Amino acid sequence: MAHAKPLATLRSATGIPTGRLAVWWVLASEVVIFGGLLGSYLMHRIGHPEWAEAAAHTQTWIGALNTFVLLTSSFTAVLAHQAAEKGNGKEAAKLLGFTILGAITFLIVKSFEWANEISHGYTITANTFWSFYYTAAGLHALHVIAGAIIMGVVAVDAYRGRELHRVELIGIYWHFVDVVWIFLFPLLYIAK
Amino acid sequence: MAENNEHHDGHDGGHHVNYFAIYVALIVLFLISVAGPEIGERTGWRWLTLITAFGIAIVKARLVINNFMHLKWEKRIMKWLLTTSLILMALFVAGVSPDVLNHEGTNWDNTAAKEATARGLSDEVEPGEVITEVATAEAGTFSAEASFNTVCATCHGVAGDGTGPAGAALDPAPANFTDPAFWDERDRDRITTVIRDGAVAVGGSPLMAPWGPLYNAAQLEEMTDYVMSFRPGG
Repeated sequence: MAHAKPLATLRSATGIPTGRLAVWWVLASEVVIFGGLLGSYLMHRIGHPEWAEAAAHTQTWIGALNTFVLLTSSFTAVLAHQAAEKGNGKEAAKLLGFTILGAITFLIVKSFEWANEISHGYTITANTFWSFYYTAAGLHALHVIAGAIIMGVVAVDAYRGRELHRVELIGIYWHFVDVVWIFLFPLLYIAK
Repeated sequence: MAENNEHHDGHDGGHHVNYFAIYVALIVLFLISVAGPEIGERTGWRWLTLITAFGIAIVKARLVINNFMHLKWEKRIMKWLLTTSLILMALFVAGVSPDVLNHEGTNWDNTAAKEATARGLSDEVEPGEVITEVATAEAGTFSAEASFNTVCATCHGVAGDGTGPAGAALDPAPANFTDPAFWDERDRDRITTVIRDGAVAVGGSPLMAPWGPLYNAAQLEEMTDYVMSFRPGG
Protein backbone atom coordinates (compact mmCIF):
# COMPACT_ATOMS: atom_id res chain seq x y z
CA MET A 1 0.00 0.00 0.00
CA ALA A 2 3.08 2.20 -0.04
CA HIS A 3 2.15 3.43 -3.48
CA ALA A 4 -1.60 3.64 -3.48
CA LYS A 5 -3.35 3.70 -6.82
CA PRO A 6 -5.55 6.64 -7.79
CA LEU A 7 -9.06 6.22 -6.49
CA ALA A 8 -10.50 6.14 -10.00
CA THR A 9 -8.74 2.88 -10.76
CA LEU A 10 -10.22 1.21 -7.69
CA ARG A 11 -13.90 1.99 -7.98
CA SER A 12 -16.39 1.73 -10.74
CA ALA A 13 -19.85 3.26 -10.94
CA THR A 14 -20.72 1.28 -14.06
CA GLY A 15 -19.59 -2.04 -12.65
CA ILE A 16 -16.98 -2.18 -15.36
CA PRO A 17 -13.32 -1.97 -14.30
CA THR A 18 -11.97 1.51 -15.05
CA GLY A 19 -9.27 0.32 -17.45
CA ARG A 20 -11.69 -1.65 -19.56
CA LEU A 21 -14.19 1.21 -19.50
CA ALA A 22 -11.44 3.51 -20.80
CA VAL A 23 -10.54 1.13 -23.62
CA TRP A 24 -14.18 0.94 -24.69
CA TRP A 25 -14.37 4.75 -24.63
CA VAL A 26 -11.33 4.94 -26.89
CA LEU A 27 -12.90 2.41 -29.23
CA ALA A 28 -16.21 4.29 -29.27
CA SER A 29 -14.35 7.33 -30.59
CA GLU A 30 -12.38 5.15 -33.00
CA VAL A 31 -15.65 3.85 -34.41
CA VAL A 32 -16.54 7.40 -35.43
CA ILE A 33 -13.05 8.11 -36.82
CA PHE A 34 -12.79 4.97 -38.94
CA GLY A 35 -16.53 4.88 -39.61
CA GLY A 36 -16.50 8.42 -40.96
CA LEU A 37 -13.47 7.72 -43.12
CA LEU A 38 -14.77 4.43 -44.51
CA GLY A 39 -18.27 5.87 -44.94
CA SER A 40 -16.83 8.73 -46.99
CA TYR A 41 -14.81 6.27 -49.05
CA LEU A 42 -17.86 4.13 -49.72
CA MET A 43 -19.96 7.12 -50.82
CA HIS A 44 -17.24 8.39 -53.15
CA ARG A 45 -16.70 4.90 -54.52
CA ILE A 46 -20.38 4.65 -55.41
CA GLY A 47 -20.51 8.22 -56.74
CA HIS A 48 -17.43 7.78 -58.89
CA PRO A 49 -17.71 4.77 -61.21
CA GLU A 50 -14.24 5.54 -62.61
CA TRP A 51 -12.68 4.47 -59.30
CA ALA A 52 -13.28 0.86 -60.26
CA GLU A 53 -10.33 1.10 -62.65
CA ALA A 54 -8.00 2.38 -59.95
CA ALA A 55 -9.31 -0.14 -57.42
CA ALA A 56 -8.54 -2.96 -59.86
CA HIS A 57 -4.85 -2.26 -59.26
CA THR A 58 -4.74 -3.17 -55.57
CA GLN A 59 -3.15 -6.54 -54.99
CA THR A 60 -5.79 -8.86 -53.55
CA TRP A 61 -3.44 -11.64 -52.50
CA ILE A 62 -1.28 -9.25 -50.46
CA GLY A 63 -4.40 -7.90 -48.72
CA ALA A 64 -5.51 -11.51 -48.16
CA LEU A 65 -2.16 -12.46 -46.64
CA ASN A 66 -2.38 -9.54 -44.23
CA THR A 67 -5.97 -10.46 -43.34
CA PHE A 68 -4.78 -13.94 -42.42
CA VAL A 69 -1.90 -12.48 -40.37
CA LEU A 70 -4.20 -10.15 -38.40
CA LEU A 71 -6.86 -12.81 -37.78
CA THR A 72 -4.16 -15.12 -36.43
CA SER A 73 -2.68 -12.37 -34.25
CA SER A 74 -6.13 -11.71 -32.81
CA PHE A 75 -6.36 -15.40 -31.95
CA THR A 76 -3.01 -15.33 -30.09
CA ALA A 77 -4.12 -12.11 -28.33
CA VAL A 78 -7.26 -13.77 -26.97
CA LEU A 79 -5.21 -16.82 -25.91
CA ALA A 80 -2.90 -14.42 -24.05
CA HIS A 81 -5.96 -13.05 -22.27
CA GLN A 82 -7.02 -16.59 -21.37
CA ALA A 83 -3.55 -17.31 -19.96
CA ALA A 84 -3.63 -14.06 -17.96
CA GLU A 85 -7.02 -15.04 -16.53
CA LYS A 86 -5.38 -18.19 -15.20
CA GLY A 87 -2.61 -16.07 -13.67
CA ASN A 88 0.00 -17.46 -16.07
CA GLY A 89 1.91 -14.26 -16.86
CA LYS A 90 4.79 -15.96 -18.67
CA GLU A 91 2.45 -17.76 -21.05
CA ALA A 92 0.50 -14.52 -21.61
CA ALA A 93 3.74 -12.68 -22.39
CA LYS A 94 4.77 -15.37 -24.87
CA LEU A 95 1.40 -15.23 -26.64
CA LEU A 96 1.53 -11.42 -26.74
CA GLY A 97 4.97 -11.86 -28.30
CA PHE A 98 3.39 -13.91 -31.09
CA THR A 99 0.80 -11.16 -31.54
CA ILE A 100 3.57 -8.54 -31.82
CA LEU A 101 5.22 -10.80 -34.39
CA GLY A 102 1.95 -10.72 -36.32
CA ALA A 103 1.92 -6.92 -36.16
CA ILE A 104 5.49 -6.75 -37.46
CA THR A 105 4.73 -9.21 -40.26
CA PHE A 106 1.70 -7.15 -41.21
CA LEU A 107 3.80 -3.96 -41.38
CA ILE A 108 6.59 -5.59 -43.41
CA VAL A 109 4.10 -6.95 -45.95
CA LYS A 110 2.44 -3.53 -46.09
CA SER A 111 5.71 -1.69 -46.68
CA PHE A 112 6.61 -3.97 -49.59
CA GLU A 113 3.11 -3.53 -50.99
CA TRP A 114 3.25 0.28 -50.75
CA ALA A 115 6.81 0.50 -52.09
CA ASN A 116 5.70 -1.49 -55.12
CA GLU A 117 2.61 0.65 -55.69
CA ILE A 118 4.45 3.94 -55.24
CA SER A 119 7.16 2.85 -57.65
CA HIS A 120 4.43 2.25 -60.26
CA GLY A 121 3.16 5.81 -59.87
CA TYR A 122 0.21 5.00 -57.59
CA THR A 123 0.99 7.65 -54.99
CA ILE A 124 -1.28 9.37 -52.48
CA THR A 125 -1.75 12.26 -54.93
CA ALA A 126 -2.37 10.11 -58.04
CA ASN A 127 -6.15 10.45 -57.68
CA THR A 128 -8.78 10.47 -54.97
CA PHE A 129 -9.05 6.68 -54.84
CA TRP A 130 -5.37 6.37 -53.97
CA SER A 131 -5.68 9.23 -51.50
CA PHE A 132 -8.34 7.27 -49.65
CA TYR A 133 -6.36 4.06 -50.02
CA TYR A 134 -3.24 5.46 -48.34
CA THR A 135 -5.16 7.49 -45.75
CA ALA A 136 -7.38 4.62 -44.59
CA ALA A 137 -4.69 1.93 -44.65
CA GLY A 138 -2.14 4.38 -43.22
CA LEU A 139 -4.34 5.35 -40.29
CA HIS A 140 -4.91 1.66 -39.68
CA ALA A 141 -1.17 0.94 -39.88
CA LEU A 142 -0.52 3.65 -37.26
CA HIS A 143 -2.92 1.78 -34.98
CA VAL A 144 -1.00 -1.43 -35.65
CA ILE A 145 2.27 0.28 -34.69
CA ALA A 146 0.76 1.79 -31.53
CA GLY A 147 -0.77 -1.56 -30.57
CA ALA A 148 2.52 -3.40 -31.05
CA ILE A 149 4.39 -0.92 -28.82
CA ILE A 150 1.78 -1.06 -26.05
CA MET A 151 1.69 -4.86 -26.27
CA GLY A 152 5.45 -4.89 -25.77
CA VAL A 153 5.09 -2.88 -22.55
CA VAL A 154 2.20 -5.04 -21.32
CA ALA A 155 4.08 -8.25 -22.18
CA VAL A 156 7.14 -7.21 -20.17
CA ASP A 157 4.92 -6.55 -17.13
CA ALA A 158 2.96 -9.74 -17.65
CA TYR A 159 6.16 -11.78 -17.82
CA ARG A 160 6.97 -10.52 -14.31
CA GLY A 161 3.43 -11.34 -13.20
CA ARG A 162 2.39 -7.71 -12.93
CA GLU A 163 -0.73 -5.90 -14.16
CA LEU A 164 -2.13 -9.03 -15.76
CA HIS A 165 -5.51 -7.39 -16.33
CA ARG A 166 -3.86 -5.20 -18.95
CA VAL A 167 -3.45 -8.23 -21.21
CA GLU A 168 -7.21 -8.19 -21.71
CA LEU A 169 -7.26 -4.41 -22.26
CA ILE A 170 -4.65 -4.38 -25.02
CA GLY A 171 -6.37 -7.45 -26.46
CA ILE A 172 -9.70 -5.59 -26.81
CA TYR A 173 -7.88 -2.78 -28.63
CA TRP A 174 -6.06 -5.25 -30.85
CA HIS A 175 -9.28 -7.05 -31.83
CA PHE A 176 -10.70 -3.68 -32.81
CA VAL A 177 -7.71 -3.06 -35.10
CA ASP A 178 -8.46 -6.49 -36.57
CA VAL A 179 -12.14 -5.60 -37.05
CA VAL A 180 -11.21 -2.39 -38.90
CA TRP A 181 -9.05 -4.42 -41.27
CA ILE A 182 -11.89 -6.94 -41.73
CA PHE A 183 -13.81 -4.05 -43.33
CA LEU A 184 -10.84 -2.45 -45.10
CA PHE A 185 -10.02 -5.71 -46.87
CA PRO A 186 -13.27 -5.99 -48.88
CA LEU A 187 -13.47 -2.20 -49.35
CA LEU A 188 -9.99 -1.75 -50.78
CA TYR A 189 -9.12 -5.15 -52.21
CA ILE A 190 -12.15 -7.28 -53.01
CA ALA A 191 -14.98 -5.07 -54.30
CA LYS A 192 -13.59 -4.16 -57.71
CA MET B 1 -3.73 -7.66 -7.69
CA ALA B 2 -6.68 -7.34 -5.36
CA GLU B 3 -8.19 -4.51 -7.35
CA ASN B 4 -7.97 -6.57 -10.49
CA ASN B 5 -10.10 -9.36 -9.17
CA GLU B 6 -13.26 -7.31 -9.09
CA HIS B 7 -13.50 -7.42 -12.83
CA HIS B 8 -13.84 -11.17 -12.79
CA ASP B 9 -17.24 -10.89 -11.19
CA GLY B 10 -19.70 -12.64 -13.42
CA HIS B 11 -17.44 -11.84 -16.30
CA ASP B 12 -14.27 -13.26 -17.71
CA GLY B 13 -13.72 -16.44 -15.82
CA GLY B 14 -17.27 -17.50 -16.52
CA HIS B 15 -17.63 -17.79 -20.27
CA HIS B 16 -16.31 -20.83 -21.99
CA VAL B 17 -15.58 -19.84 -25.53
CA ASN B 18 -13.78 -22.30 -27.73
CA TYR B 19 -11.39 -19.73 -29.14
CA PHE B 20 -9.84 -22.17 -31.56
CA ALA B 21 -13.25 -22.99 -33.07
CA ILE B 22 -13.93 -19.26 -33.50
CA TYR B 23 -10.53 -18.84 -35.14
CA VAL B 24 -11.21 -21.70 -37.55
CA ALA B 25 -14.61 -20.20 -38.38
CA LEU B 26 -12.94 -16.85 -39.09
CA ILE B 27 -10.38 -18.44 -41.41
CA VAL B 28 -13.07 -20.41 -43.27
CA LEU B 29 -15.15 -17.24 -43.71
CA PHE B 30 -12.04 -15.41 -44.84
CA LEU B 31 -11.35 -18.04 -47.51
CA ILE B 32 -14.95 -17.81 -48.73
CA SER B 33 -14.66 -14.00 -48.88
CA VAL B 34 -11.64 -14.36 -51.17
CA ALA B 35 -13.08 -17.20 -53.28
CA GLY B 36 -16.56 -15.67 -53.64
CA PRO B 37 -15.53 -12.64 -55.70
CA GLU B 38 -13.32 -14.86 -57.89
CA ILE B 39 -16.38 -16.94 -58.74
CA GLY B 40 -18.50 -13.79 -58.99
CA GLU B 41 -16.09 -12.31 -61.50
CA ARG B 42 -16.03 -15.38 -63.70
CA THR B 43 -19.78 -15.87 -63.66
CA GLY B 44 -20.66 -12.17 -63.78
CA TRP B 45 -22.68 -12.50 -60.57
CA ARG B 46 -21.82 -9.17 -59.01
CA TRP B 47 -24.23 -9.76 -56.12
CA LEU B 48 -22.09 -12.75 -55.13
CA THR B 49 -19.04 -10.49 -54.87
CA LEU B 50 -20.89 -7.96 -52.74
CA ILE B 51 -22.49 -10.53 -50.44
CA THR B 52 -19.30 -12.49 -49.92
CA ALA B 53 -17.22 -9.34 -49.48
CA PHE B 54 -19.39 -7.27 -47.15
CA GLY B 55 -21.82 -9.83 -45.73
CA ILE B 56 -18.95 -11.98 -44.57
CA ALA B 57 -17.07 -8.96 -43.20
CA ILE B 58 -20.04 -8.23 -40.95
CA VAL B 59 -20.25 -11.86 -39.78
CA LYS B 60 -16.50 -11.95 -39.10
CA ALA B 61 -16.61 -8.64 -37.22
CA ARG B 62 -19.48 -9.95 -35.07
CA LEU B 63 -17.56 -13.13 -34.25
CA VAL B 64 -14.51 -11.12 -33.17
CA ILE B 65 -16.47 -8.49 -31.24
CA ASN B 66 -18.65 -11.01 -29.39
CA ASN B 67 -16.15 -13.75 -28.67
CA PHE B 68 -12.69 -12.17 -28.68
CA MET B 69 -13.63 -8.75 -27.30
CA HIS B 70 -16.29 -10.40 -25.10
CA LEU B 71 -18.83 -7.70 -25.82
CA LYS B 72 -21.48 -10.41 -25.52
CA TRP B 73 -20.75 -10.58 -21.79
CA GLU B 74 -20.10 -6.87 -21.30
CA LYS B 75 -22.41 -4.60 -19.31
CA ARG B 76 -25.29 -3.20 -21.32
CA ILE B 77 -24.10 0.41 -21.02
CA MET B 78 -21.03 -0.49 -23.12
CA LYS B 79 -23.23 -1.77 -25.93
CA TRP B 80 -25.20 1.47 -25.79
CA LEU B 81 -22.03 3.53 -25.89
CA LEU B 82 -20.83 1.74 -29.02
CA THR B 83 -24.28 1.85 -30.59
CA THR B 84 -24.31 5.62 -30.04
CA SER B 85 -21.04 5.90 -31.96
CA LEU B 86 -22.45 3.83 -34.79
CA ILE B 87 -25.60 5.98 -34.90
CA LEU B 88 -23.51 9.18 -35.00
CA MET B 89 -21.48 7.72 -37.85
CA ALA B 90 -24.65 6.73 -39.70
CA LEU B 91 -26.04 10.26 -39.22
CA PHE B 92 -22.88 11.73 -40.71
CA VAL B 93 -23.02 9.43 -43.71
CA ALA B 94 -26.74 9.99 -44.22
CA GLY B 95 -26.27 13.76 -43.94
CA VAL B 96 -23.55 14.13 -46.53
CA SER B 97 -24.53 11.29 -48.86
CA PRO B 98 -26.86 13.39 -51.06
CA ASP B 99 -23.98 15.75 -51.80
CA VAL B 100 -21.43 13.05 -52.44
CA LEU B 101 -23.52 10.50 -54.29
CA ASN B 102 -25.10 13.05 -56.63
CA HIS B 103 -23.07 15.35 -58.80
CA GLU B 104 -25.83 17.86 -59.30
CA GLY B 105 -28.96 19.07 -57.57
CA THR B 106 -31.69 21.65 -58.00
CA ASN B 107 -29.46 24.64 -57.40
CA TRP B 108 -25.97 23.24 -57.59
CA ASP B 109 -23.63 21.50 -59.92
CA ASN B 110 -20.46 19.68 -58.84
CA THR B 111 -18.47 20.28 -62.00
CA ALA B 112 -15.21 19.02 -60.47
CA ALA B 113 -16.77 15.63 -59.68
CA LYS B 114 -18.40 15.43 -63.11
CA GLU B 115 -15.13 16.26 -64.83
CA ALA B 116 -13.26 13.71 -62.73
CA THR B 117 -15.80 11.03 -63.62
CA ALA B 118 -15.82 11.91 -67.31
CA ARG B 119 -12.04 12.02 -67.43
CA GLY B 120 -11.69 8.74 -65.58
CA LEU B 121 -14.21 6.89 -67.71
CA SER B 122 -12.94 8.25 -71.03
CA ASP B 123 -9.43 6.94 -70.44
CA GLU B 124 -8.96 4.07 -72.84
CA VAL B 125 -5.57 3.27 -71.41
CA GLU B 126 -4.83 1.68 -68.07
CA PRO B 127 -4.85 4.12 -65.14
CA GLY B 128 -1.25 3.21 -64.31
CA GLU B 129 -0.16 4.29 -67.75
CA VAL B 130 -2.09 7.52 -67.48
CA ILE B 131 -0.18 8.46 -64.39
CA THR B 132 3.19 7.63 -65.94
CA GLU B 133 2.16 9.41 -69.07
CA VAL B 134 1.30 12.59 -67.24
CA ALA B 135 4.51 12.36 -65.26
CA THR B 136 6.80 11.78 -68.20
CA ALA B 137 4.71 12.83 -71.16
CA GLU B 138 6.62 13.15 -74.40
CA ALA B 139 6.74 16.70 -75.68
CA GLY B 140 4.65 15.75 -78.71
CA THR B 141 1.48 14.93 -76.80
CA PHE B 142 1.69 17.64 -74.17
CA SER B 143 -0.60 20.66 -74.34
CA ALA B 144 -0.18 23.38 -71.74
CA GLU B 145 -3.69 24.60 -72.41
CA ALA B 146 -5.21 21.15 -71.89
CA SER B 147 -3.18 20.63 -68.75
CA PHE B 148 -4.16 24.07 -67.44
CA ASN B 149 -7.82 23.33 -68.09
CA THR B 150 -7.59 20.02 -66.24
CA VAL B 151 -5.25 20.84 -63.38
CA CYS B 152 -5.45 24.59 -62.78
CA ALA B 153 -8.86 25.67 -64.09
CA THR B 154 -10.70 23.89 -61.27
CA CYS B 155 -9.70 26.83 -59.08
CA HIS B 156 -8.27 29.48 -61.40
CA GLY B 157 -10.96 29.12 -64.06
CA VAL B 158 -10.52 28.29 -67.74
CA ALA B 159 -10.15 32.03 -68.43
CA GLY B 160 -7.49 32.34 -65.71
CA ASP B 161 -9.60 34.86 -63.83
CA GLY B 162 -9.75 32.93 -60.55
CA THR B 163 -13.38 31.86 -60.93
CA GLY B 164 -12.99 28.07 -61.16
CA PRO B 165 -15.79 26.03 -59.57
CA ALA B 166 -13.64 24.71 -56.72
CA GLY B 167 -12.06 28.11 -56.14
CA ALA B 168 -15.19 29.82 -54.86
CA ALA B 169 -14.85 28.24 -51.44
CA LEU B 170 -11.16 29.01 -51.01
CA ASP B 171 -9.70 31.63 -48.71
CA PRO B 172 -7.59 33.33 -49.93
CA ALA B 173 -9.34 33.24 -53.28
CA PRO B 174 -7.38 31.78 -56.22
CA ALA B 175 -5.20 34.26 -58.09
CA ASN B 176 -6.77 36.19 -60.95
CA PHE B 177 -4.19 36.18 -63.75
CA THR B 178 -6.17 38.70 -65.78
CA ASP B 179 -5.86 41.34 -63.05
CA PRO B 180 -3.07 43.85 -63.88
CA ALA B 181 -2.44 44.37 -60.14
CA PHE B 182 -1.56 40.68 -59.84
CA TRP B 183 1.39 41.20 -62.16
CA ASP B 184 2.76 44.26 -60.34
CA GLU B 185 5.07 42.23 -58.19
CA ARG B 186 5.32 38.94 -60.06
CA ASP B 187 7.73 37.85 -62.72
CA ARG B 188 8.18 34.75 -64.83
CA ASP B 189 10.53 33.04 -62.39
CA ARG B 190 8.05 33.40 -59.59
CA ILE B 191 5.25 31.83 -61.68
CA THR B 192 7.51 28.87 -62.48
CA THR B 193 8.49 28.49 -58.84
CA VAL B 194 4.89 28.54 -57.63
CA ILE B 195 3.70 26.01 -60.23
CA ARG B 196 6.58 23.70 -59.34
CA ASP B 197 6.87 24.15 -55.55
CA GLY B 198 3.51 25.61 -54.55
CA ALA B 199 2.77 29.10 -53.25
CA VAL B 200 4.23 28.19 -49.86
CA ALA B 201 7.66 28.38 -51.52
CA VAL B 202 7.21 32.14 -51.93
CA GLY B 203 5.38 32.71 -48.66
CA GLY B 204 1.91 32.33 -50.15
CA SER B 205 -1.11 30.17 -49.35
CA PRO B 206 -0.69 26.38 -49.01
CA LEU B 207 -3.92 26.02 -50.99
CA MET B 208 -1.85 26.50 -54.16
CA ALA B 209 -0.29 23.05 -54.16
CA PRO B 210 3.04 22.13 -55.77
CA TRP B 211 2.49 20.57 -59.19
CA GLY B 212 6.17 19.96 -60.02
CA PRO B 213 5.88 16.16 -60.23
CA LEU B 214 3.36 16.48 -63.07
CA TYR B 215 5.73 18.26 -65.45
CA ASN B 216 9.23 17.90 -66.82
CA ALA B 217 11.39 21.01 -67.26
CA ALA B 218 10.17 21.81 -70.78
CA GLN B 219 6.53 21.32 -69.84
CA LEU B 220 6.99 23.54 -66.80
CA GLU B 221 8.20 26.28 -69.15
CA GLU B 222 5.13 25.77 -71.33
CA MET B 223 2.85 25.95 -68.32
CA THR B 224 4.53 29.18 -67.24
CA ASP B 225 4.10 30.59 -70.75
CA TYR B 226 0.44 29.68 -70.68
CA VAL B 227 -0.16 31.38 -67.32
CA MET B 228 1.82 34.43 -68.55
CA SER B 229 -0.48 34.59 -71.58
CA PHE B 230 -3.33 35.71 -69.31
CA ARG B 231 -1.35 38.81 -68.37
CA PRO B 232 -3.21 41.89 -69.68
CA GLY B 233 -1.26 43.53 -72.44
CA GLY B 234 1.01 40.59 -73.04
